[in-house]
Amino acid sequence: MTTGICRGVALVIALGALGALCAPGASALAQPAKGAPTAARTKVGAKPVKASAVAPELIAALAGIDIEAAAKAAEMLGANPAPVAHEALLDALALGLPAAVAAPAMLALGAHPAPPDVVALRRYAGHHTPGVRIAALSTLAMYPDPAAHAVVVAGLHDPVGMVRTAAAGAAARGRIKAAIEPLLLLLAKGEDASARALAALADPDLARKIADQLGKVPDPTLAVTLGAILKRADFGPDEARVEIVRALAKIQDASAVTALTDYLDSSPKLPPRPSRGEAQMVVEARLGGK
Amino acid sequence: MKAILLAFAVVASGCAHKSVFRLSSDENNAYALGDTLAKRKLPEQPTPVNASGQPRVFVLAAGAPKTIVAYDLAGGNVLWKTDADVQSRISVGGDFIVAVEGKQLVARDQARGAPRWKVELGGTFVGAAADKERAYLITKSGNSWSLAAYDGGNGGQLWKDDASGQLGAPAAHGGVVYVPFLSQWLSIIDGRTGAQLTRLRGIDEQISTLRVTSNVAYYGSRQGVFRLDARSVSGKRDQASYGKVKIPPQLERTSYSLDAYDPIQQGYTAADRARVLWSSVPTDTGPMKLVGDGYAVHYFRYLFGFGLDGELRWAYSQPRVELVASEHTGTVIAAVSTSGDIIALDPQTGGIRAKKSLGISQQVLGATFDADGWAPSSEQGASETAAALVSIARDHDARFDRVKELAVIALAKQPGAQVTSELLSVLADARAPQRLKDTVVDLLTMRHDPASLPVLTEQLAVRTDYLAGTEPEALGPIAKAIAGLGQPDLVLDPKHVTAALAALQLHLDAATTASPELAWVIAAMRAIGHGAERSALISHLLLYHADDDLGGDAGWQKAIVVALAAQATPADRAALAYVAADPRTKPGLITLIHDVLGAD
Repeated sequence: MTTGICRGVALVIALGALGALCAPGASALAQPAKGAPTAARTKVGAKPVKASAVAPELIAALAGIDIEAAAKAAEMLGANPAPVAHEALLDALALGLPAAVAAPAMLALGAHPAPPDVVALRRYAGHHTPGVRIAALSTLAMYPDPAAHAVVVAGLHDPVGMVRTAAAGAAARGRIKAAIEPLLLLLAKGEDASARALAALADPDLARKIADQLGKVPDPTLAVTLGAILKRADFGPDEARVEIVRALAKIQDASAVTALTDYLDSSPKLPPRPSRGEAQMVVEARLGGK
Repeated sequence: MKAILLAFAVVASGCAHKSVFRLSSDENNAYALGDTLAKRKLPEQPTPVNASGQPRVFVLAAGAPKTIVAYDLAGGNVLWKTDADVQSRISVGGDFIVAVEGKQLVARDQARGAPRWKVELGGTFVGAAADKERAYLITKSGNSWSLAAYDGGNGGQLWKDDASGQLGAPAAHGGVVYVPFLSQWLSIIDGRTGAQLTRLRGIDEQISTLRVTSNVAYYGSRQGVFRLDARSVSGKRDQASYGKVKIPPQLERTSYSLDAYDPIQQGYTAADRARVLWSSVPTDTGPMKLVGDGYAVHYFRYLFGFGLDGELRWAYSQPRVELVASEHTGTVIAAVSTSGDIIALDPQTGGIRAKKSLGISQQVLGATFDADGWAPSSEQGASETAAALVSIARDHDARFDRVKELAVIALAKQPGAQVTSELLSVLADARAPQRLKDTVVDLLTMRHDPASLPVLTEQLAVRTDYLAGTEPEALGPIAKAIAGLGQPDLVLDPKHVTAALAALQLHLDAATTASPELAWVIAAMRAIGHGAERSALISHLLLYHADDDLGGDAGWQKAIVVALAAQATPADRAALAYVAADPRTKPGLITLIHDVLGAD
């Protein structure tokens, strides 16, 4: 059985001062981040061990019935660098939050990422409410943990488009290499979010692989992807840009000319770049042919 | 009825021919019946009627004109083929066959198929029959019916009996003719003279069907059949050799034999494709005794063997096409398909005893077997009941939706993981009717076969995946079936349980699992988990207890609370108590928890 969800269980047990429920080893996942103080492992709303920086009312509000107040409390706790604030967020998530509160609580959690957060976020990444999943995936982008990456990659398979978009964005922000193959599959389906993500992840090798998708990916989507790579200031060397320009030249759709024109408009004329020269020639040839 | 009887009484006195069919007549006379039975020249053992004694089948094939094909079952070869405008069933005599062709009764030489003699029908055709020496024809003109006998050799009319009451289609063997009369009587006529030998009256059952083999006569109705013997004199089911088999409701069109009063059935029709097939032995007491304590049902493409208790023993499914005619020869069940395949099955096991082919390209419309006692041994194939049942269940022919129910019910009674796989494949079939799927779900739930768990778990591997284009197939039913394995007396392999719980939890935690399926997933985890599922279920409860959608779903609330409350550990109770006390918890959930936890 997956035991990463045991924090809430442990809390409930603590409430009742009862015996262990989770499998051995699982409790480690419920431990606070390294160096963080032990806090809130007692009754919800009880005074934390080191709560000097966090008002108890804030923690109570997070677990209260006033959704707006709870969401606001989550934001305030997220803004508070005190470990106890982080623990309060984790505990609230473990005990279950309504969707409207869970999303801000997770975003708040990500303000000060700590390893134990991944378990909580992973649990909400499978929530029935797409908005909650989006918040979980967006937050998970900040964690270098392979477990977090796996959840983001799984999000690319989600049936809801907005969730896939969030996962693609998370993959780009987290520079998750394991996401490349599913992103290419989404690219083949013409999903723009995957185009942006792949453009952000692309090195010369990946750019070449993307260029090879001609015929497998809708032309406009491929043009947008390659154009977005060209516009990246950190992408290079210029030989790689030249290859992309040549790949764009093979795309018959007008979107290729748009991508090249955008590249010409956004890149400096000096010092001269061969890629820019080729792009200029392609644009003139395509537009001159009209 | 009264008017018919009155009309009969008035007209009867004016008949030009012998009037043996009368309202008042000696009937159910033990002495006369005994004499009649003794007078029949019947073989001791089932034997073909034809003079050569070789098993044969006479097939009518479609075309313009149609074609009669005479086939030697023992030799496996076509004896002859001939074009003929056949409008009736074919009756088999000693050295001839007879059938209505156009508007004539035509006898053909059985050795070569050439026409031997023809007679005008002289009225509306009601039915025909033959024994070794004679052909018998019943026609109707106005309000009178007549039974005539013709010499099988030259077609000369031997005698003619008239009746003003309705006669049904006749049957004959051993020198006697059986004629249903006014749905109430069975007149037994001397084939040589036309005299009535005796008459039986059905006291508690109509007489509307006849089935005559080479050495036994059966009569009755759609309700059941009597074997003709000395005890028939009673006219009552409980004092005669009466038989009534259990026909599954899914095979509702099945009858014991053709309806002698239905003119349509005097030709080859779909009614020939839904028949009870049986053989019996003589008995002095009790009901009719079926050979092997069983019977078979031919139902279109399928043959089913049943025990007397109605339990399915075997099944056979003819590939692709229907079986258009069938006969219990006493030793095998023989049938012919529309494509001209001939099969013989062991009545006890359903094993294939012979497979032959007419080798014709025309569609077979019907056939008459003259194959009593045929005992082929060219093949000794084992029964392929499971495969046949699977084939039936997967058949996309909507006419057989109810038969598919019968098949899956029978299939589910067989043990083994493979059977579970086959049942699941029905659920996965988009073209399978919903009613069938509902039946399969119930069967899977009741199956209680521990060997099914790995198969069910395997099915759980399919999840909602936009990129792969997959969705879980029948998640609810599969979970329900797993829940059915949570019986205290069932021993499940712990490794299988662990794998199943892991697979179930993936669906428990999946965003796309809808509430009704979730309820079954939860129930399944609880049924087989023995405590290992508790932490996952508690986490699930905590995650959604305050959720506006799932948290307020009554089905989900009940499933999760019941799962945690059953044999609750202190930890379970603590979790439930916490949720009940949380002000964000949905009211229905709180009420349920209070109900199960009681005052505390």
